[in-house]
Amino acid sequence: MKTMLAFIKKELIEQLRTGKLVILSIISIFIGILNPLTAKLTPWLFEMLADTLAESGISFAGFTISAMDSWMQFFKNAPMALIAFVLIESSIFVKEYQSGTLVLAVTRGLERHKIVFSKATLLTLLWTIYYWLSFIITYAYSAYFWDNSVANNLLFAAICWWVFGVFAIMLIVLFSTISNSNGTVLGGIFSVLLISYLVSLLPNTNKYTPTLLTDGYSLIYGIKAVHEYTDALITTITLSLLCFVLSIPIFNKKQL
Amino acid sequence: MLNIHNLHKSFGDKKVLKRLELSVPKHSVFGFIGKNGAGKTTTMRTIMGLLMADEGEIFVAGEKVVYGNTKTNRHIGYLPDVPEFYSFMTASEYLRFCGEISSMDRSDIKSRSEELLKLVGLEDEKHRIKGYSRGMKQRLGIAQSLLNRPKLVICDEPTSALDPLGRKEILNILSMVKENTTVLFSTHILSDVERICTDVAFLNDGIISMQGKLSDIKSKYRSEEYIIEIEKHKDTHKLMRTFPKLKASDNNTLRFNQKDYSPFEIIQFMASNDMAFTKIEKLEPTLETLFMEVIR
Repeated sequence: MKTMLAFIKKELIEQLRTGKLVILSIISIFIGILNPLTAKLTPWLFEMLADTLAESGISFAGFTISAMDSWMQFFKNAPMALIAFVLIESSIFVKEYQSGTLVLAVTRGLERHKIVFSKATLLTLLWTIYYWLSFIITYAYSAYFWDNSVANNLLFAAICWWVFGVFAIMLIVLFSTISNSNGTVLGGIFSVLLISYLVSLLPNTNKYTPTLLTDGYSLIYGIKAVHEYTDALITTITLSLLCFVLSIPIFNKKQL
Repeated sequence: MLNIHNLHKSFGDKKVLKRLELSVPKHSVFGFIGKNGAGKTTTMRTIMGLLMADEGEIFVAGEKVVYGNTKTNRHIGYLPDVPEFYSFMTASEYLRFCGEISSMDRSDIKSRSEELLKLVGLEDEKHRIKGYSRGMKQRLGIAQSLLNRPKLVICDEPTSALDPLGRKEILNILSMVKENTTVLFSTHILSDVERICTDVAFLNDGIISMQGKLSDIKSKYRSEEYIIEIEKHKDTHKLMRTFPKLKASDNNTLRFNQKDYSPFEIIQFMASNDMAFTKIEKLEPTLETLFMEVIR
C-alpha cells in the first residue's frame, strides 16, 4: 500500500508540474459555467435574432428558460468533456514506455500490478474531480438562476455519465497495457465506444449498452425511468472491471 | 551472487544468447565484456526480469528470477546505459520516490539520499532533472542504484556515452562502492575494465568465451614475447642477420620469443658490438589482445 501511495503521489506531482491538472481544471470550470450561461443567454440570443427570424416567418412567443435547459447543456457538453479528458490523459502509460522511466521503477522491485492500480486510481480520481466540479458549478448556477428540482433523477443521471467516464478510463488502462502507441490506445477506446453505440441501435440491445448511460436527457425529462438503466449500469461496471482485471496479467508480461 | 545456467534468448530468427553460463562471485567488480550487439544488454535485462528468457535459469542471491514477478530485484540496483528519470522531479525528490517504492523507512531514505547525493556530487543540485547533462544523469543513476544497499549492482555500459572526465567520475564512484556490494559492469571499453574490475567474462556470439579472475586470465595468457627498441636503425639489420628469428615490429623495434633467444643473449651481443637500446620489455597480455583473441 505504501509503495502504491508513493507511485500515486508521483503521478499527482507529474499532473501538477506538467500543467495537466491546470488544463483539466480550466476545462471543467469552463464547461461548468458554459452550461448555465448558454441557457441564460438563449432568450437574449433569440431576441437578437428575432427580427431576422421574423422576416423568415419564424416567431417565438412565451419563450421561458428553466434549469432543464442548463442540464440539457450539461449532458450535451459531457461528451466533449470526456473526449478532452481522454486526449489529455491517454498517454499516461505510453509516455512512460517511450521514455523508459518505468524500467527503473520496476527494477527497484515495484510490483507491476501496483503501477496499473496506481494509474487507474489516479485517472478515476482525476475524472471524478474533473466531472463533479463541472457538475457542482452547473448545479450552483442553475440553483441560483432557476430551480433544479424540475430535473428528474438529476443525481442518478449524473452518476450514469460518471460511470460511463470510468468505463472510458478502464479502456485507456487496458489498451495502454496492450499497445505502446498512443494512436492505438485512442483508436482502441473510440472503436469500443463506437461498437457500443452501434450495438445500442439494434432492437432489444439498447438497454444493455454503456451508451445508454450517456442519455441523461431522457432521465431528467422523465422519458425513461431509473430502472431502465440498471442493465446498462451492470454491463458497464462489469466491462470496466473486466478491462482492469485483464490489464494486470497483460502488463505483467509486457516488455518495458 | 549471480548464477546463470544455460540461458537462451532469441529475437525472431536471431539467436542472441546461446547456452550462456555465468557466475559472478560476491564482492567482485565483474567486467562483462563484449562487442556491440554481443548480447550484454539482453543478458542484463533478462537478469532484471525485463525480458523473458526462452530457456535457462537465473539465480540472484540464491533466488530464482521469475519474469513478470521479479522479486529478486529487491537485491539488485540497476543502472541502464541511458537512465531515464522523471524529468519534473529534482534529484532528491527522485531518490525519495525510489526509496518509497522500495519500502525503505522515511528516515533511512533521507539519510541515505543525502549520503549518496554527496557521493555522486549532486548534493547541491536543486534543479529539476530535465536540465541535467548526461554525466549528471549517470551519477544520479548510480545513486538510485545504490539507494537500498543492494547486494548486486548491475551497470549496463555506464561509461560508453560519457566524455573522459565523466567516465573517470563514474569509475571512481564504482571503485568506491565495491567494498559493500558486488558490481556487474558491462562494457566494450577495455581500459575501464582493466581499471576497476577484479573478474571478467568475455561474451562473444551469445556464449561466454572466457571467464575468471582478471589476474588469473592475464597470467594464463602471459606470453613469452619481448620487444626491444634499438637506438639506431642501422643496428636492427645487423641484429636481424645474427638473430634471424627476430621480427621487426616497426622502425626501430624488434620482437622475439624467449623460446628462441634469451633477452640476456641479445643484450650481451649488443653490448659487445657497441649497440644501444632505449627499451626492452616483456609483453604483458592486455585485455584488448585477449578480447581480439576471443572474437577472432
